[in-house]
Amino acid sequence: MGTLYEDMVAYGGEVFGKEHMETLRECVQCGKCTGGCPSGRNTAFRTRKLFQMALTDMREEIFNSPELWFCSTCYTCYERCPKGVKTTDLIRTIRNLAAKEGHMSVPHRMIGVYVLKTSHAVPLGPAQMELRKAVGLDEMAPTAQKYKDQLEQVQTIFKTTGYDAMIDFDWDTMNLKGMDKGGKK
Amino acid sequence: MAEEEEYDYTKIPPTGSVEGIAAGAPEDSPRIGVYVCHCGINIKMVVDVEDVTRYAASLPNVVVARHYIFMCSDPGQDLIRKDLAEGRVNRVIVASCSPRMHEPTFRKTCSDSGLNPFYYEMANIREHCSWPHGDFHKEATEKAKELVRSAVARSALLEPLEEKLVDVKPEALVIGGGVTGMYAALDIANGGYKVHLVEKKPSIGGHVAQLSRTFPTLERVASLLTPRMIEVGAHPNIDLMTCSEVEEIGGYIGNFDVKVKRKPRYIDMEKCKDCTPCIEACPVKDIPDEFNEGLSTRSAIYIPFPFAVPPAYTIDAEHCLLLKEGKCGDATLETIKEGKAVPPCMAACPGVIDFEQKDEIEEFTAGTIIVATGYDLVDPGVSAEYKYGVYPNVITSMEFERLLSPGGPTGGKIELNGKEPKDIMFISCVGSRNKQVGNEYCSRVCCMYLAKQAYLAKEQLPDADVKVAFQDVRAFGKGFEEFYGDVKTEGVFYMRGLPGEIYKKPGSDRVVVRGENTFIGEPYEQEADLVVLGMGLAPNKDVKSIISMLKLSTSVDGFLMEAHPKLRPVDTATDGIFIAGCCASPKDITDSIAQGKATASGSLLYLVQGMAKIEPAISQIDEEICIGCARCVDVCPYGALELDEVRHVMTVNEAVCKGCGGCNSICPSGAATMKHYRDRQVYAQIEALTEITDVGMLAELESAATAAVAAEASAGAADTGSEAGEGEGAETEAVPGAE
Amino acid sequence: MSEEEGTKEYAYFLGCITPNRYPGIEAATKRILKEFGIETKEMMGASCCPAPGVFGSFDMHTWLPVAARNLAIAEEMDLDIVVTCNGCYGSLQEADHLLKGNPKLKEKTNEILGKFGREFKGTTKVNHSIVVLHDVIGLDRLKEKITKPMNGVNVAVHYGCHFLKPREVRGHGSSETPYILEDLVKVTGAKDVDYKDKLMCCGAGGGNRTADSVQSLEWMRQKLVSAIEEGCDCMVHPCAFCHLQLDRGQAEMNKAFGTDYNFPILFATQFLGLAMGLSEKECGLDIQTTTMPEKLLK
Repeated sequence: MGTLYEDMVAYGGEVFGKEHMETLRECVQCGKCTGGCPSGRNTAFRTRKLFQMALTDMREEIFNSPELWFCSTCYTCYERCPKGVKTTDLIRTIRNLAAKEGHMSVPHRMIGVYVLKTSHAVPLGPAQMELRKAVGLDEMAPTAQKYKDQLEQVQTIFKTTGYDAMIDFDWDTMNLKGMDKGGKK
Repeated sequence: MAEEEEYDYTKIPPTGSVEGIAAGAPEDSPRIGVYVCHCGINIKMVVDVEDVTRYAASLPNVVVARHYIFMCSDPGQDLIRKDLAEGRVNRVIVASCSPRMHEPTFRKTCSDSGLNPFYYEMANIREHCSWPHGDFHKEATEKAKELVRSAVARSALLEPLEEKLVDVKPEALVIGGGVTGMYAALDIANGGYKVHLVEKKPSIGGHVAQLSRTFPTLERVASLLTPRMIEVGAHPNIDLMTCSEVEEIGGYIGNFDVKVKRKPRYIDMEKCKDCTPCIEACPVKDIPDEFNEGLSTRSAIYIPFPFAVPPAYTIDAEHCLLLKEGKCGDATLETIKEGKAVPPCMAACPGVIDFEQKDEIEEFTAGTIIVATGYDLVDPGVSAEYKYGVYPNVITSMEFERLLSPGGPTGGKIELNGKEPKDIMFISCVGSRNKQVGNEYCSRVCCMYLAKQAYLAKEQLPDADVKVAFQDVRAFGKGFEEFYGDVKTEGVFYMRGLPGEIYKKPGSDRVVVRGENTFIGEPYEQEADLVVLGMGLAPNKDVKSIISMLKLSTSVDGFLMEAHPKLRPVDTATDGIFIAGCCASPKDITDSIAQGKATASGSLLYLVQGMAKIEPAISQIDEEICIGCARCVDVCPYGALELDEVRHVMTVNEAVCKGCGGCNSICPSGAATMKHYRDRQVYAQIEALTEITDVGMLAELESAATAAVAAEASAGAADTGSEAGEGEGAETEAVPGAE
Repeated sequence: MSEEEGTKEYAYFLGCITPNRYPGIEAATKRILKEFGIETKEMMGASCCPAPGVFGSFDMHTWLPVAARNLAIAEEMDLDIVVTCNGCYGSLQEADHLLKGNPKLKEKTNEILGKFGREFKGTTKVNHSIVVLHDVIGLDRLKEKITKPMNGVNVAVHYGCHFLKPREVRGHGSSETPYILEDLVKVTGAKDVDYKDKLMCCGAGGGNRTADSVQSLEWMRQKLVSAIEEGCDCMVHPCAFCHLQLDRGQAEMNKAFGTDYNFPILFATQFLGLAMGLSEKECGLDIQTTTMPEKLLK
């Protein structure tokens, strides 16, 4: 484990490319991100401050703050940043690193459970089947929720990448292990 | 890397000499002196200069090798002078820095001692060796030896060249009549030489004429500028051409052939008395007034501003009904000719207006050219989140200048639609320092003009809330920081953070600025009835044709490129062509004037002497070999080559050729070669570098790769300061070298 | 991509919310595209896209292969993709963009897909349904089919985020001055009304709604209020996920804040559907939280 910045460049760099991540160092703290941030005016989330904290390696403070999860990834700051800092992708990278260290709330982990069980983050219920019929559609769309072999493909991906382990998924109960654990491992 | 013995540069003495193996060689053979420079410790720290000196002494034709702490210093040059005076050497090599830095220095050392300066050769063991290879002492020392070996191989084959002189026509062309061009023109004219000053607009004065007051001294610009403008207009040595554009430029230093198109004003300037009846008569009155940034309107016949020079009216052909639609009222060009109906303007002012005027082409020769074409304001639409053009309360800084100007649309009152603003917010860095809008550079003037504008706003409206949203305040000039302090003391509040966006307050005509005060880390929503965007400066879009006519280069930011950003800030790669003011980069009035005067000085250097040296390391055609195919004509960026129809061979115009080597590389017969970069001279260098000793292999190389070698020659030309491969839009630095 | 005479086919990537919460969006979209000779084919076995701001925030290395698998299904069908959700649009387009630009990443991803015999090749294109309407069908042809013009209706356009941004991937021009939805609204005869928070996020994305639903609803409330203040009659948007927040969210918001908002929310094809003569029922607008006023149904 290096500094948070180094980890971000290494981890996010694999997906977005290193140069994309290295834009973090170009931040001049002008505040244009926070200035137009829909979260900033409603929560304690400060994009500008987060980047300064990341550059000063305040890993624990960042990972332990609930505000980290109050970015809606709307890309407004990404579009406006005068220095071309790839804000939203940097935030997502920080979140990935936080999640890997167990900073992931139960509701967030539950989204993974739904996908593992049904292939959908928003699963279909009996009431919704009726809605589908009401507009003249088949009661269930022919997605992976309908075919066991297709659902297994999605599950295979989660198993391969270790997402199941990351959220403490229990393959026997098809639910999170020990629902009483709270937000952190 | 493990060293057997730690290299300790402090143990190297400041100087030392080794006798070369060619000592005592006959007088008419090449007798080379090699001088290795320590550059203080810049080279010595990495390269073992003693070792290099010993090695140099072992090379063919070397009679002496010396090393010294600073070869460019007087005692350093004395080493060379002494060896030359004693007849010990007849070729000189200094192994030091880039030729761009000190080739002129040592060439002069040689010529002062009677040696043809083209017998001088340089090995760059600093930029090409000690600086980039700082961690590799051993390898760098080896590389330095190779570079010296290569220079020695070339040195033996050098030929003397004579620098030629051309006559300089004692007149200058200045393109652009803004403050920069005005000052350049005035200095040359006052020096006693004729200046052709070409301005596209109907009046000189440029953007500066639009400004209210200066920073940081708060002087009224009109009162500062008007006397200078009148001086330009009345100067017997200045041929002022307004409404004019340069159409064509050919030739070379001392003899630039210029064609200027003068557009008609449709007014007899001698007779125009600068009164108003024509304006009142003109039926077209709704044209946005450029001088007032569209905050007011003007008629089709107009004077750009009250203190315009020349003080004459102009008819705007794009809007004049008679010129645009062929008819104004009952009048047409025909009826005017026939003496029947005339348009209202002619009726109001008989005998002055002349619709028969046509474009005129004026031709003259100029010895030097100064480009002072200025800037454009960045398009405020690039930061659409600030809603310029959507909300009328959001204006540009130039519009605000017009509001502050006594001659402006409001007579100097800060008001919008007749209403005084209560809350004014200035935003810095709009369109500057912004990668998203493509302008990464700082515009250099915005911080201080915003400070001035905020100060004047507070001065005029003491009860108004005046804020400046900024990311940095760059108050670097004389008196700037003190002024910035005064502005804040006056009650202008500086709030750190670039705002994110602006929206209109529902049910109101006010806007709200959303931002973060980064010092306290809290977002805010600040209501305002006037938002002034601190617009940056961009390269002048209309200057493209001049760039291609003069073969100027632009840097990545789009501004014109100087010959060297530090050492030659107003020169270009072409002798006799200078750049000044905001066409080269954003700058304030002070710096623009300084550059204008610097280019006048550069011009006068040639005008006063009446002659200019031209580069002797240029193309030469071997007429025995040339087949007259003229392929070189297509690649020559300077138009230096011409086909002699009678003898059917190419000829080189020595004044025009810049020695780029393009003809050399394209020539299928090998007739075009470069003086000072002859094939054999370049081969010898390559051979020495690559240590090719197999003669067969070398022959193969020679026969197979004329083009490749010629390219090497061009690269060599580049290293001596010529501009190989340059041209319009070249974005890289012209000359390799790290300084 | 197959293109027979007068017909064009797309693989319709449904995602989660369209089929499982708002089938009206699915029905209206299919109906309208068919009206212009465009067939939508089911993508058998497709899954969650998966949500770019959610799975992208937790584990990009899971997000990417799941998205790549969905792209591979369309590639196997030899069809370009059409979507009705900005989340799906963002996820699939971004995955496609990243995989095409990074051979190493593609190889790594295909290793995973290879476990069940699939492969991402990079042969499909991800389209948003409103771009198909605007650019493929075109405003002129749309206009011909407007039988119940929306004259007098004031519309607040809501873009959502991942349709426009980041512009370097989406390619719809400046995200500060968009035009596609405005054009589609105006073609019905309705008025596109500018409002304060027009370009603001609905508040749901990036796991924000899951992280803290009340503050996420507060963003939405601000957005709705700013549209209502300008006299808008409804909100038209291109995103099933925003629809969930804006429509169902109003019920949650009323419960949380003790308010009684009922501001009509319509997906773009639902709005166009009404203007083209489809019924409220056919567009599924009778089976959602917010109710449609007479003005829109007449």
